Amino acid sequence: MIARTTFLVAVSRASLLGMLTAIAVLVGPAVANKDPVTPQQLQAYEEVFMEQVKKGDLLFHGDDATAKQMDVVLSTTGWACAMCHPFASDTHPQAFPKFQVSMNKFATLRDMINWCIEKPNQGEKIDPDSDAMKALEAYIYWSNTGSVLVPGKY
Amino acid sequence: MSELDHVRREMATVLQQPGVCPDPSLRITRRTFIHRSCLTGAATVAQTFAWWPLLNTIDVAYAAEQPFKFAWVSDTHLYPRSLNTRFVDKVVRAAKEVQAMNPPADFMIFGGDLAQLGKIEELELGNELLKEVGVRKVFIPGEHDWYLDMGKKWGQLFGQPNWTFDHKGVRFVGLDTVSRAPDYWTMRKMSPEERMGHMATLDGSVAGPWAGVGRDQLDWLQKILANWDKSRPVVIFSHNPLYEYYPPWNFWVRDWREVNDVLKPYTKVTNIHGHVHQVLYNEIGTMRSIGMLATSWPWPYAPEGVPKLTRPMVRADPGDFYDGVGWSGVSMNNDRIETEYIMWGRKEVYAQSPEDSSLSQPEILRPRIADRIGPY
Repeated sequence: MIARTTFLVAVSRASLLGMLTAIAVLVGPAVANKDPVTPQQLQAYEEVFMEQVKKGDLLFHGDDATAKQMDVVLSTTGWACAMCHPFASDTHPQAFPKFQVSMNKFATLRDMINWCIEKPNQGEKIDPDSDAMKALEAYIYWSNTGSVLVPGKY
Repeated sequence: MSELDHVRREMATVLQQPGVCPDPSLRITRRTFIHRSCLTGAATVAQTFAWWPLLNTIDVAYAAEQPFKFAWVSDTHLYPRSLNTRFVDKVVRAAKEVQAMNPPADFMIFGGDLAQLGKIEELELGNELLKEVGVRKVFIPGEHDWYLDMGKKWGQLFGQPNWTFDHKGVRFVGLDTVSRAPDYWTMRKMSPEERMGHMATLDGSVAGPWAGVGRDQLDWLQKILANWDKSRPVVIFSHNPLYEYYPPWNFWVRDWREVNDVLKPYTKVTNIHGHVHQVLYNEIGTMRSIGMLATSWPWPYAPEGVPKLTRPMVRADPGDFYDGVGWSGVSMNNDRIETEYIMWGRKEVYAQSPEDSSLSQPEILRPRIADRIGPY
């Protein structure tokens, strides 16, 4: 008798699981609260990104007003990042992280940005998680869009 | 096909036709040797290779009447001394080394971009520092020298931006490739400082294709070459290269076709130029072209358009302010010219392996975006 009851419970559970699976498959993302992305959302995401790219571009090119607004001192010599890196050339974001010879350590792009701020530009190192760092990173990556990832390359 | 590709193909069609090349006597050989100043100064500066200027030379054949030397210095990009002493120190060093040339240089050519933002203080500082050089000096302007006051202070200090003279069998010409920019400032009501700021941004989009020789100057060039034997040597100094290398950074003159038309009859033309802050070599039509180092800082090669004949220079160490920069000595000895890159930070000027060159890392780059918006 006990064995028969256990068997019936097992069959009922299996049936319930099967039903739930069928519903999940049929109803899909709506029940999982995952709506397809809309063109408006894509535009909004793009705008957030490009806003950072533009800020990074201005910082990279030594725009005093943007630096002041973001409370950073990226240079005290008149030098700006773009003077050595027109179009963010020779920044090689696609090669990071890598062993960076000039720092003699394994480094990220953010480490390298701060090194350039401190050494050639003689500015003040910035918080690696700051808005200014994210903007600089956004501009450098955006400028190099299409370059092939080669992490670790000298 | 992109506009750049289109221009490049057109240039190849016009300038690199079968059988058209510089006079065969202008052949290139390359040598490396230790500069004399390296030996004489070794006692005080031998602690580091950064102070050992080894010279790489490009030898070209000419028919100068007597041996002589001249020096090229350019792209010093001086700020006021109170803001940046690093660039000042490099000009001081270059001037001392030019003055110490043995045998002495017959003259020194300054190839433009003495100042960074065209300020009176910057131009006067450069003029003062170069007084260390006692030999004759001739100057051509760069865009950084010009667009604050449209060449007024430059003219007061250095005279006409273009000129010519004959020296020991060679006709030398200084060209002004910077002062004829299309007017991007009047309609936009820019201040002189704003105009200069856009011009001083190499990768900016506002100043546009500012580098050019201009019809009036081409006519002048044609006139001053008219009485010169077409097989005798001509050396043309210009700030920008007289061909198309990378227009987005004005590594060209926009009227290179017309320049080629004027120079075509002359078989021994050498163009020596600045602006690019890097070692470059090219042959276009019957002219050879040699790019010189800056004293201020080096630029990486452009992502495309580097002439195939260029042997790339080393990739500079950004932590060494004397790396990848310097000046050049040019010796004219009987039938040859030796152009010597004096790069302060290196034993070898040329990359010894692909990894030693910035060209080893292929890049796909986008032009900047933030100067396409805003008040203009």
